[in-house]
Amino acid sequence: MAGVPADPNLAAGPASSPWRLALRRLRRNRVALGFLGLFVAIVVFVIAAPLWADHVAHTGPNATHTLERITVGGEKRDVVNPEGKPLGPQWFGAGGKFFLGADSRLGRDEMVRLMYGGRTSLIIGVVSALITTLLATVLGLLSGYYRGWTDSVISRAMDVLWAFPVLLLAIALGVSLAIGGLKIGPVEISGGSIWIPILIIGFVSTPYMARPLRGEVLSLREKEFVEAAVAQGAGSMRVMFAELLPNLWSTIIVFFTLNIAGNMLLEAGLSYLGVGVQPPNSSWGTMIATGNDLITSAPLLTIIPGTMILLTVLSLNVFGDGLRDALDPKSKVRFEAHAGVAATGAAGTEGLEELGR
Amino acid sequence: MRKLGSVLLVLALVAASAVGLAACGTSSSGKEGGTLTGSYASFPDYLDPQLSYTSEGWTALWNSYTPLLSFAHASGKAGSKVIPGLATAMPKISNGGKTYTLFLRKGLKYSDGTPVKASDFPATVERLFKLNSGGVPFYTSIVGAEKFAETKQGGISGIKTNDKTGEIVIDLEKPRGTFTDELAIPFLALVPKGTPAKNLTADPPPATGPYEITNSEPGRGWTYERNPAWASANGKLMPQLPGGHVNKIDISVIRNDSTQVNEVEQGKTDWMQGPPPPDRYQEVKSKYEGTQFRVESTVSTYYFWMNMKQAPFDDLKVREAVNYAIDPRALERIYAGSLAATHQILPPGMPGYEKFDLYPHNMAKAEQLIKEANPSDRNITVWGDNEPENSEATQYYQDVLNKLGFNAKFKEINADNYYSIIGNVNTPDLDTGWFDWFEDYPHPNDFFQPLLSGESIAPTNNSNFSQTDIPELNAKITRLGEEPLGAKQEAEYAELDKEFMEHAPWAPYGTRIISTFVSSAIDLDKVIFNPTFEDDLTSFQFK
Repeated sequence: MAGVPADPNLAAGPASSPWRLALRRLRRNRVALGFLGLFVAIVVFVIAAPLWADHVAHTGPNATHTLERITVGGEKRDVVNPEGKPLGPQWFGAGGKFFLGADSRLGRDEMVRLMYGGRTSLIIGVVSALITTLLATVLGLLSGYYRGWTDSVISRAMDVLWAFPVLLLAIALGVSLAIGGLKIGPVEISGGSIWIPILIIGFVSTPYMARPLRGEVLSLREKEFVEAAVAQGAGSMRVMFAELLPNLWSTIIVFFTLNIAGNMLLEAGLSYLGVGVQPPNSSWGTMIATGNDLITSAPLLTIIPGTMILLTVLSLNVFGDGLRDALDPKSKVRFEAHAGVAATGAAGTEGLEELGR
Repeated sequence: MRKLGSVLLVLALVAASAVGLAACGTSSSGKEGGTLTGSYASFPDYLDPQLSYTSEGWTALWNSYTPLLSFAHASGKAGSKVIPGLATAMPKISNGGKTYTLFLRKGLKYSDGTPVKASDFPATVERLFKLNSGGVPFYTSIVGAEKFAETKQGGISGIKTNDKTGEIVIDLEKPRGTFTDELAIPFLALVPKGTPAKNLTADPPPATGPYEITNSEPGRGWTYERNPAWASANGKLMPQLPGGHVNKIDISVIRNDSTQVNEVEQGKTDWMQGPPPPDRYQEVKSKYEGTQFRVESTVSTYYFWMNMKQAPFDDLKVREAVNYAIDPRALERIYAGSLAATHQILPPGMPGYEKFDLYPHNMAKAEQLIKEANPSDRNITVWGDNEPENSEATQYYQDVLNKLGFNAKFKEINADNYYSIIGNVNTPDLDTGWFDWFEDYPHPNDFFQPLLSGESIAPTNNSNFSQTDIPELNAKITRLGEEPLGAKQEAEYAELDKEFMEHAPWAPYGTRIISTFVSSAIDLDKVIFNPTFEDDLTSFQFK
């Protein structure tokens, strides 16, 4: 089996596996590690949602408090005033209740919704990225390995999907599935289920990953290690999953992280347009949509979830780039050569890596 | 003779000045002509007179499609008066209230030049039935209409017409006290015989009113231009109807109502249909009231319906519990000043309205009733549209249901399609949801017959969402509907209101307060707000 080619400049002896080398390269990329830290912090923040809701805010994400009044510094305040304006951020003035204020005329706790909404957005991003990865890997392997009519059928199907603007396709699917839901054999998913946006996003993103993987498989299947495996009597399945797949891992992992970010953005767009996460459940996209109705009187309701999306997507993208550089330094050479950066005349990989930083 | 010459000279000068002023398009009474731009927050349900059944749709259709009778183009109570439309006079009612005789004005034309004929009237009624329109229940009392509704063939025997004389005779199975009003609503606005029995929203049929719809892009907007037949024929033949001041009206759909407000403030659009969003309501009111903004009260009821035909709402205790649990004060706050709390079917302003509240907010009592009912099915789908405040009201309702121990899921539907979806009884999980109802005409039967009578339950375009079918109350609706409206009947309608609320098919929560908001270029004082059709586009005039 052929592994990821080792970077000669980083070779540290016979015990260094390609993964260990990649980890070593990743450790040297402080920017990527910094953004990984930010992403981990965001994950911890959203995982803590029930703790905050139960022990600090004492309310659930969908509980309404329209007519309630809270005491802040001995003063009674309406959660929603008679003109329909929600309470602004109270920080710890009310013991952590309404830390970021109320979300709308329904008087729901914005902080609690932000944390639960983050869970929804991340779950959709991660699970749909897993679906995309699974579909794209299988289709890319089949298409690239078998070529011929298998490749033609899969590639044309991908072309058809690719021909649709991704957001429009997702909106069309979202609208049509919102009422009746989805029924595939014994599996039935109701229209308001979180699985609807997950499946839609996972499905529409597939061509964007399947096509590059197919290209890589087309190249790998001509290598000597594949010929050797075939000569030893290995069947197609074994060649695809035991020989080719391990060589695709680095690409798959990088795509996966970038897909999470892209899919979270797509979810936010769909939810903003009302075809993603269904109210009253929150996601950062639905929170922006809710805040949009109060943009003049309570702009923070839009700014805060928007900032959370920005930070999460940015952290995943920067970390994903760092991971790509670590797992496959040659891809960086190819990318930068394309971009004309190689004009410096630096021939070695190490030199280009340094330049990239 | 010389003196006469001077007088003639002065008169000639005055006349010339008047002509000159008119040519400039300005006079002391305002400017004629120009293009009025307006915005809707969502596209109306239909731009087809036989299909549209929303106040937004009727505002859009009123000045293009004229029935035999019409409502006076006036604000307030005066706007509830029924006047002749395409008919020469009000109907002659004979045979104990069962026969209506009208005559079509001679020389009327549609906007495509086709002459309007008396035989277009039965064709229009048949089209209504063929389309399974939401307006069907108003006209099933015409002799032969029920049979036609089933077979869609053979014509309606109870309508006889004579194209030569213009006579139209309508025989009813039984007297119907509301029929005069029902002849004046857009469902029976005449369209040419042979108009396809399909939704013509994208290509609306030819018009008889002062404006014709010349372009329609469903979901995006539509355009009116002056109906050429109005100037040549219809306008002179129907002097009781206004011809409008502007030459063209461009309506666009702007989904964000805050953007609608901004555009009116900046003069990019001259009018917004519907009120400013709650977020902006007070700001707009304080800034523009009296000059560009006016508060208008409507005759409407906002409510949550509960499907009485399926669990858990087939249990009276559950429906009562919901009524006790709903707090109309919270909903008033959600609508931020554009809703006045009520807890009954008939709204203020409707004949027969007598204020009462059988279910003052009491959460403990609601919980006790749920405990007693102990419903086995606690999974509920709650339906609502996506207009911001209606959506929030429905989310509040969902939270209330969850607090009562249900597992309520909110299904939010685009406002453009909402009525079509919940009006189809085959749509799955129609358990409970939001709706509002604005008067079709000033008669209390208009709230009971289409919304709560068992006879009104229809497979599509159903408006009895709670599927209420209580035989004794159906009979009472029918009996009262046959009688002309008087003090005795009003008292009985008030009693009927209470009787229905004792069965609690709905949890009503308020009546809408809306507004007219126009740009500074429009003369607000001249804008008519009709209680049935709301803002009258013929009354808009540039200063």
